[in-house]
This record gives sequence, structure tokens and C-alpha cells, in this order.
Amino acid sequence: MDYMILSVILLAVGIYGLLTKRHLVKVLISIEIIAVAASMNFVLLASSLNRALGETFLVLAFSTDTCVTAIVLALLVIVAKKYGTCDIRKLAEIERSADEEQAKS
Amino acid sequence: MIVELLAVGLVVSACLAIYLDEAVYSVASLACMFVLMAVLYALSDAVFVAVFQLAVSAGTLAVLFLAGEMLSEKPEKEKSLKKIFPVVLLAVVLSLPSIFLSVAVTPANISSGFSFAEALWDLRVIDVILQGLVIMTVALGIAIVLYERREGES
Repeated sequence: MDYMILSVILLAVGIYGLLTKRHLVKVLISIEIIAVAASMNFVLLASSLNRALGETFLVLAFSTDTCVTAIVLALLVIVAKKYGTCDIRKLAEIERSADEEQAKS
Repeated sequence: MIVELLAVGLVVSACLAIYLDEAVYSVASLACMFVLMAVLYALSDAVFVAVFQLAVSAGTLAVLFLAGEMLSEKPEKEKSLKKIFPVVLLAVVLSLPSIFLSVAVTPANISSGFSFAEALWDLRVIDVILQGLVIMTVALGIAIVLYERREGES
């Protein structure tokens, strides 16, 4: 059983989701999976080498990760309320049309 | 054997979290992944990290459930089990290299005689305090942004 390969597989799944999914909640879930894959690599390596410092860094990293999730969710709620959609492509279209209107005026 | 099953479960739940259309099911799958990850940590003698992972993920998942329910539209047609089965199968196949292959890692020869508590409270105490400040700032910032947004609407 190799944790490093497992971590790479989870990272690949997360990146796939990040590149292919259009809904912002799905994108956030993909970011979570990527973060979990990275932290798993650190925790299990530190644990197998019996280094407590690695686990300590990870506890701090979890907090940062939660902050990132909270900020992204707040932005997501604002975007959904302002534009009425969470679809990335629709949001890009809205922005493009707003830019075109601005250029005309 | 348990660790191998956990690895397969992790990859399957990650794939389902990405694949399933409805946000609530997707978040439920992510919750499953977090729990399996915490069990994996606990089995690898990183009990503190496992507990921390469970605590943090409980909060994250609660908010994600709410956001998923609030912001996502219901898909017109739910995916049938026939469509989900190939994804599960693919995920199982994807997880096989982690079970049967291995990457040689040569550990650095640095001895560290710290326990987890010593490392956290003696070596990284400034980090912990700064982290608390960062979390408080983030919470205040989010509250201010959402408050301004509400004022702008009214």
C-alpha cells in the first residue's frame, strides 16, 4: 500500500473535477479533494517517519484550508445572489456582455 | 486489508463527489471521503490529526450542505445506478496502483524527538497564535462583506 500514489490519484481526480465541472459548488468540492490529497501525503509521510512536526504543520494547514473554504463560500453566495447563477460559463457570458455594453457606451 | 479497502473507498467517494450531479449527494460523498480519511489517519497513528480532520470537516460539510441545497438547481433527470456503476468500477481500477505499486522513499536521517504537543505548543506557538488571528480576521471579513451586501440590497 503506497500513500504517495493514492495521494496522486486523489489529486488527479480533484484536478479533473476542477477542469471539467461548471458549477461553483462542484469546483469548491474539487478544491477540497485536492487539499485533502496534499495534506494526506504530508500526514502519512510524517506519521510513517515518526515526525510530530509534520502533523503539527498539518493541523495548522487544516485551519488555513477551512478559511479558504469559508471565503470561497461567501464569494459564491454573493455571486449567486448578484447574478442568479452558479454556472461558470454563464457567469463568463454575463461578464462578457457587460464589457461589450460598457465598450459601446 | 483494512487500509486497502479504505484506499478504494477514498477514491470511489472522491470520484462520486465529482461525478454526481445533485450537490447534496455530492457533498454526502465528500463527507464519506473525509470520514474514511480520518480513519486512515487514526490507523496510521496520527490520532490528533484524525480528530482535527473530523472536527474541521464537520463544519465544512455543514456549510457545504447548506450552500449546495441553497444554490444548486435540481437536475432534470437523476443519474441511474446503471450510469453510476461504471464510475465506481473506474474508481476501483484507479485505486489499484496505490495498492499494488510502491514508490521507494528514502527517509532523511534527521532525528526529531518531539511529541505532538511539544511540537505544537513549544516550537510552533507563534504560528498557532497567528493562525487564531487569521481565522478571526477571515470571520470578521466575511461578516463585513455579507453585511455590506445586505445593506446594498435594502
